[in-house]
Amino acid sequence: MTSTSTAPAATDQAMAEFDRTTSRWGRATMIAGLLVSIAGPLYLVFAARLDIAPAQLWIAFAAVAATFGIIWIVEPLTYYPILGPAAMYQAFMIGNISNKLLPAALIAQTNIGARPGTRRGQLASVVAICGAAAVHLASLALFVGLLGSWLISVIPPAAMNVTRLYVLPAVLGAVLVQAIVSMKQPRTTVIALAVAAALVFLVLPAVPGLAMVSTAIAVLGTVLLAWFFRSRQPASEARPAQPVHLK
Amino acid sequence: MHAPMAPTGSTDILAIANAPVLWLCVAGVFGVIVVQSLIFLRAVRRAAPAVQMTPGDIRTSFRSGAVSAIGPSLAVALVAIALLALFGAPAVLSRIGLIGSAAYDVSAAGIAAGTLGAKLGDESYTQSVFAVAFFAMSIGGAMWMIATLILTPLLRRGDAKIRAINPAAMAIVPAAALIGAFACLGFTELPKSGTHVVTFAVSAAVMALSLLLAKTLGKSWLREWGLAISIVTALGSALLTSGS
Repeated sequence: MTSTSTAPAATDQAMAEFDRTTSRWGRATMIAGLLVSIAGPLYLVFAARLDIAPAQLWIAFAAVAATFGIIWIVEPLTYYPILGPAAMYQAFMIGNISNKLLPAALIAQTNIGARPGTRRGQLASVVAICGAAAVHLASLALFVGLLGSWLISVIPPAAMNVTRLYVLPAVLGAVLVQAIVSMKQPRTTVIALAVAAALVFLVLPAVPGLAMVSTAIAVLGTVLLAWFFRSRQPASEARPAQPVHLK
Repeated sequence: MHAPMAPTGSTDILAIANAPVLWLCVAGVFGVIVVQSLIFLRAVRRAAPAVQMTPGDIRTSFRSGAVSAIGPSLAVALVAIALLALFGAPAVLSRIGLIGSAAYDVSAAGIAAGTLGAKLGDESYTQSVFAVAFFAMSIGGAMWMIATLILTPLLRRGDAKIRAINPAAMAIVPAAALIGAFACLGFTELPKSGTHVVTFAVSAAVMALSLLLAKTLGKSWLREWGLAISIVTALGSALLTSGS
């Protein structure tokens, strides 16, 4: 945070008012977004008569939590110093923070000559995120919402079928490479690949029952081994944390 | 074929994935973001004069943000279109388009389907499996918001203190968790068929090439478009390989 002692009282008051408004309404809108976003799946699960047992829901959620639980906490922690409190409430609802919202904020700050971390910089990034959100909502509504169903109807059934069957490996190949490159941690990468390969190609064929929790085992195993075999040289430990960002 | 746990049911995913209630929820998410943006813009306009920010500066910031988002937004839209067949428009719009991301949501859906002994996209992927996967990815996505809601006020108070959390742990643990998770999820696809192997390999190679070219040629748009280009190329190779 920047020093506030030298700024005139009027500036402080205006920014305090800004902080009050954005944290109160940021919180309120985020809670609203959260409720609306889970209302749909809750409706399907409980009202659409699909014959789903509550235990199946908890097992599925537990498997997702075991894989991504760490990231839920770490991501807000690492973005906070860059975004500041107001933009946190925008960023975690709009998504694509590192490849869309942060560049947008940075370019806006450059264009009006505001340094990041200053109050002008903070306001500029909030406005830039609003601009990015407007473009993002419009392009989603147009290309996916409006034209999406038409696109589905004109795409040949064979292509549609191939997409349905192979979209998972098509996404994961790219995402794995992206994660490896942006983390820049060769040692952790080798450990993660070895753990995952051993698990998928050696352990699972022998113990198929573990398939349900395999990702959780891979995450836990990699975290423990990477921590145990971490580089103890102070130089590499001093490097700032740069986790991959999912949101 | 069907694992004993998977509930039987229709595999016509789009029939329930396009339910009117889900479209209503998407409209709600869009509406909430619009309202939030309007409130934040008004708050900025009030505070701006006190920090020597002119109305021109505000206009420039808004335009800069909007223009720089065009590329990434179109890239996300392309990925979303590729996933329409799997999740339907409402789930894709509210999850992959907003709030979440393709990397997280596709992985979470795959994991959730796996707990029912089902696989996304094949004959075990029933309406019930879709509902459970949609539930798991949405609640999982909501956890980011809950963490943000809890942590933001705390961080405002203890800013510097929390930033000083063991930097080694902050660097290693998330990297290990993410690479471990995506490596495991990716490798699990490989034994399924030769086409899965080709699709995975092409996708990884195209992404590596995109990132390499982005770095060596200084074309940062390749970084934004990397995922979209990789998915489309990999699906194209799957179409050729499977011969359908």
